[in-house]
Amino acid sequence: MYEILEKKEIAAKNVMYKIHAPHIAKKVQPGQFVVVRAFENGERVPLTPVTWNRKEGWITLVVFSRGKTTLRMNMELKEGDKILNIAGPLGNPAPMKRFGKILAIGMITGIVEVYPIAKAWQELGNEVITLHIVPEPMILLREELENAVSRHIVESFPLKEGMGMPEIFKELVTRGQAKVKELIEVEKPDLIFMVGPAGGQKAIFDVVKEYGVPMEVDLHPIMVDGTGMCGACRVTIGGEVKFACVDGPSFDAYEVNWEELIARSGFYTDLEKRAMEDYLAKLAQGGVQ
Amino acid sequence: MMAIIKERIPTPERLIEERLQGFMEVNLGYTFELALQEAQRCLQCNPAPCIQGCPVHIDIPGFIKKLRENKEDPKKAVKEALEVIWACNTLPAITGRVCPQEDQCEAPCVMGKVGEPINIGKLERFVADYAREQGIDEELLQEIIPKIEKKKEKVAIIGAGPAGLTCAAELAKDGYQVTIFEALHKPGGVLVYGIPEFRLPNDTIEKELEKLKKLGVEMKTDYIVGRTVTLDELLENYDAVFIGTGAGTPKLPSLPGINLNGIYSANEFLTRVNLMKAYAFPEYDTPIKIGKKVIVIGAGNTAMDAARTARRLGAEVVIAYRRGKEDITARIEEVEHAKEEGVTFEFFLSPMEFIGDENGRVKAVKFMKMKALEERDSKGKRKIVPTGDTTVLEADTVVIAIGKTTSKLLRMTMAKIEADEYGVIKVDEKLMTNIPGVFAGGDAIRGEATVILAMGDGRKAAKSIKEYLEKKANNT
Repeated sequence: MYEILEKKEIAAKNVMYKIHAPHIAKKVQPGQFVVVRAFENGERVPLTPVTWNRKEGWITLVVFSRGKTTLRMNMELKEGDKILNIAGPLGNPAPMKRFGKILAIGMITGIVEVYPIAKAWQELGNEVITLHIVPEPMILLREELENAVSRHIVESFPLKEGMGMPEIFKELVTRGQAKVKELIEVEKPDLIFMVGPAGGQKAIFDVVKEYGVPMEVDLHPIMVDGTGMCGACRVTIGGEVKFACVDGPSFDAYEVNWEELIARSGFYTDLEKRAMEDYLAKLAQGGVQ
Repeated sequence: MMAIIKERIPTPERLIEERLQGFMEVNLGYTFELALQEAQRCLQCNPAPCIQGCPVHIDIPGFIKKLRENKEDPKKAVKEALEVIWACNTLPAITGRVCPQEDQCEAPCVMGKVGEPINIGKLERFVADYAREQGIDEELLQEIIPKIEKKKEKVAIIGAGPAGLTCAAELAKDGYQVTIFEALHKPGGVLVYGIPEFRLPNDTIEKELEKLKKLGVEMKTDYIVGRTVTLDELLENYDAVFIGTGAGTPKLPSLPGINLNGIYSANEFLTRVNLMKAYAFPEYDTPIKIGKKVIVIGAGNTAMDAARTARRLGAEVVIAYRRGKEDITARIEEVEHAKEEGVTFEFFLSPMEFIGDENGRVKAVKFMKMKALEERDSKGKRKIVPTGDTTVLEADTVVIAIGKTTSKLLRMTMAKIEADEYGVIKVDEKLMTNIPGVFAGGDAIRGEATVILAMGDGRKAAKSIKEYLEKKANNT
């Protein structure tokens, strides 16, 4: 059981938790993730520690209300409550090398995962530019990134009434692609790194590959155990089947089979929607404590 | 001398229609009266071949005798029988349910030569269940615990599966301080993520594990050895280590379309249903997607478990196996149950390709038709060759149950441990690895085997660990 030491909403649908988890705080490296099971009937959710304190034994996580479990976490958990399970750190740490000039991109909540890696790369002597492609209400970690890297850019737009997910996504992609094109031409980065939804990563990669700039991506396929046991997170990399949880999460964008990844990521969308609607209906009836 | 009863006393089973409504246990187990009738059939051979057939050498005639001796006092009978079993096996409610008894203790049973062998597995299970229901195991535990002489040595166990749990229990009974490190949120390993509740209820596992906790075993879940804590750190803080990480990585054939949606490894499929209770979605948040037609590839116990699970989720299920009927590796009972529940079998079909629809979801599987030759392979199975003919079966879900390999995470994070090219850990006859004080057992050293063999290793390793620690204590 892991106590929530602090909880605060840091952007629309995004809640930051400071959690007592000494076994993870002691070991976690930038690029690694944890698997959280908050409730007895909740899913196992992979999340990224944003900051941590090895001495005091805590980590922070940002939870985006994306599905039922994450929405429940954000609605129901309070400071002082306990999270049932947090396992980790999992996945391989990001390579800590001098690449030169790095453009690190986070689309929507992808920036959460970019932050610890970008910060570490900057500290290592790289020149890091971070780009956050995001609708305005969901701008996150702006100040933190401004303090951590050479230059932080937010490419955002206000959400208009009646804008559905497809329109928002289209706007993110259009703006993101234009901005990345501009940054490649002006800044000439040696490496591009990106975290975000698979469709967004693919869209940005389509621009990057025109210029042939090396690109690394942290992938987020559907995951269950996170330790290489179930194979839910399998992705095809350079024609070979890899498990994102133990072989990744970072891969060469040029090697990723994007169509497959995008198709696999959307497999449960209808059921996720059903679970969410079911939960919201119960909530409306006052049926959930 | 009583007349020999050739047929075994059957155990009551849940009705088929009722089984398909949920995940309730299928076999209902003996009552005391039925168990006693079955126990009466035992010839009490000496030497007893059944003991040799049991990987942990339980004194089978011994516990059966205890049941018969005290037939007027069921509680006493069960307590004494349990005591005999516990001397070799602390988890009889589990082994009584999942051991392949027909290939082990029951195979050489003398009764089997004149009729049906003694139903040893079900008797073992009866003793365990009855003891639990009547609080007899608790009583026995309370008698044992005060007699345990606490030792100062600490042992770390990696993995809370059958091997690790058995090793832990044996060491705890001898007073060692044992800590189990488990990566998942629940201890049990394959028992909780892999074996469905209709065969082994999670509640039964939990009760068996409570016993271990009472014996003083500490269980740390959410701990991934190699990541959360390294092997070197364990070696600094513990006097010996046992690796019982099993064979957790699913084998997936390198065939076109393997990553289509709707194709599950048996591990993922069973984990979603057993561990995460996807059958109760959306009450439980983890979903599972199953269509009308499911093909399970493979014919081991895992394949039967997946097929029967899919039946309970409402699908039509076909098991496709590349060999013939005689080479099915699953237990007979499981195959029979699968058939009763409406699972159909297709033999001599080897998958060639998974065919998807425009959304990337599987819609069919193309198979090569195989045929068997008279010639046999190293495992004694008839060799199979392609006929050149192919066939296509429709499916909206495919479960791959063709086996597992050792944990990749283990290979990645414990490179100092000597292993073969498949990651199977090398051990000596004492089950010690190349690192002094580090022992291993179960599927981690076997590649892939059964629960009871893993338990046998756990027990053997516990003995070796004791010897190792005693020797170390004497040298210092």
